[in-house]
Amino acid sequence: MQLIRRRGGIVTKRMWREVRAIPTPPSQRILAHLTRETVTAICAMTLWVVAAAAAAADDSNERMFMVGGFGTVGAVHSSEDRADFTTGISEATGAGYTNQWSAAVDSLLGLQVTGTFTNQLSAVVQVISEQNYDNTYTPHIEWANVKLQVTPDASIRVGRIVLPIFLLSDSRKVQYANPWVRPPVEFYTLIPVTNSDGIDASYKLHSGRLTQSFVGTYGTSRPDFTSGNANVRRQLSISDTVEFGPATIRGTFQQAVLAIDTLDSLTDAFRQFGPAGVALADKYQVKGKVTKFAGVGAVIDPGAWFLMGEWGKAEYHSVLATKTAWYLSGGYRLAEITPYLTYADVKANSSTSDPGLDISALPANLAGRAVGLNAALNGILGSTPVQHTISVGARWDFMRDTDFKLQYDRIELGAGSPGTLSNLQPSFRGGGCVNLVSITIDFVFGGYGV
Amino acid sequence: MTMPGRADLQLIALAVLMTSVSSKADVVAVVSSKSAITALSKSQVADIFLGKVSRFPDGLLAVPIDQAAGSVERNEFYTKVADRSPAQISAYWSKILFTGRGKPPTEVSNDFEMKKRIAANPSAIGYINAELVDGSVRVLY
Repeated sequence: MQLIRRRGGIVTKRMWREVRAIPTPPSQRILAHLTRETVTAICAMTLWVVAAAAAAADDSNERMFMVGGFGTVGAVHSSEDRADFTTGISEATGAGYTNQWSAAVDSLLGLQVTGTFTNQLSAVVQVISEQNYDNTYTPHIEWANVKLQVTPDASIRVGRIVLPIFLLSDSRKVQYANPWVRPPVEFYTLIPVTNSDGIDASYKLHSGRLTQSFVGTYGTSRPDFTSGNANVRRQLSISDTVEFGPATIRGTFQQAVLAIDTLDSLTDAFRQFGPAGVALADKYQVKGKVTKFAGVGAVIDPGAWFLMGEWGKAEYHSVLATKTAWYLSGGYRLAEITPYLTYADVKANSSTSDPGLDISALPANLAGRAVGLNAALNGILGSTPVQHTISVGARWDFMRDTDFKLQYDRIELGAGSPGTLSNLQPSFRGGGCVNLVSITIDFVFGGYGV
Repeated sequence: MTMPGRADLQLIALAVLMTSVSSKADVVAVVSSKSAITALSKSQVADIFLGKVSRFPDGLLAVPIDQAAGSVERNEFYTKVADRSPAQISAYWSKILFTGRGKPPTEVSNDFEMKKRIAANPSAIGYINAELVDGSVRVLY
């Protein structure tokens, strides 16, 4: 076995990779990614052909296909130049370290084709180009599903479907539909997965002005993150949304079995250190653990103003610490201008450090490896986001289907925590404050109004 | 007392003109006179046009019809029944449209076409300038 020398001891190349949690070579990841996208595309096209064939028998519809799109062009500046501000672990670069002003954080373009084949059968394909985990803008299929409207109040969708866990899950990428530059990162990074390949069922109950919608989803997902390739299996979510006039209240429960390749190789390395190592591996292993999320959200929007908030807890039972996040936001509409104020907070519910393996009990040749593993473990635990942000901004509806937004964020990082920042440089120390200034233009086109 | 100058007169004329433009005619929600629906509240009308309910209170299917985007009638109507500006309505529908969960009402190009469509379909609900109301349609709100 080929050996390389490292400070503090001898480690194999494999071990070194495990310790540093280096992801699989890009070539392999791209291949895996391409294969999955190809399979999804073929599935989507097959569904499309089936749906279109079914439609041939029905000529009652007026407009079979609707093409539309949405997008954001924006730039964000960060005062912290030793780390990047991003909207989550699916973005490779951000504002601060990579670029003082980054256009990569918020800019995106989405295209959607909706086919209405019969009164019961419709399909939607949504493709989005945005900054990916590998710093490319290769478009990906966000949604591709066929919907069967069984009754006016009951429907079933099959294919790639939104993972409906947050109040704004459906529109989290359509910023024109949202009041802010971007949904609060503290809350919207709790679950970084946005879609699921599988099935969902929805049922609506009406009583007077009150509408209650139940949605259940089941599926799998293979998202690529900067920290590794995730495999989400047996993903199950249920949500109940109650709408009464201008008020909406929603509760969600979700659970899934998660695996992230890079993190699993780290915990596997601990298993070679006897019962103490196995205990640590069992505690921090991601693979096979059931992750759970519970959240509630509410919005009241009578027209002239809005107030909305969400609270949620994500339990990972692994090296991905259990986190609780919430936000509260309000805005007031003054003709075309809507100023708003948001407070958002995320904290860790589990410990963000661990003494790890007891070095003193180990022979010298193993101690070096143990030190490295302990450091890698604490590196991940310590990067658990702890932060809160105050945001002030305004949306200006300056022309049809287009808005301009200006937002200032003051992020206060928890002691020693990098918060939601990424690409941490060696000189970066957690804690302290980060100031952001964001300018965006959001737009929608086609579909509605054309 | 001095006589108003030419520029002042122009300003007054402009002010009068703007007043007449901004005091737009009243827009009313209507159904066919063949419909069984005789009255709806502001919030019931809003819920139908925002796609929150798909049926009239008596359980019959409700088919909302919009006037053209940007038209005075449409802007007046949504301000009146939903307390929402054209931009808010546009943002509202983009949210629903880009989730594949629904689509905005079909559109007609003017008051006359609207009245024709409403009169012919007992399920349809729309809105027209109050001055154009006749025996073929019934005012709800």
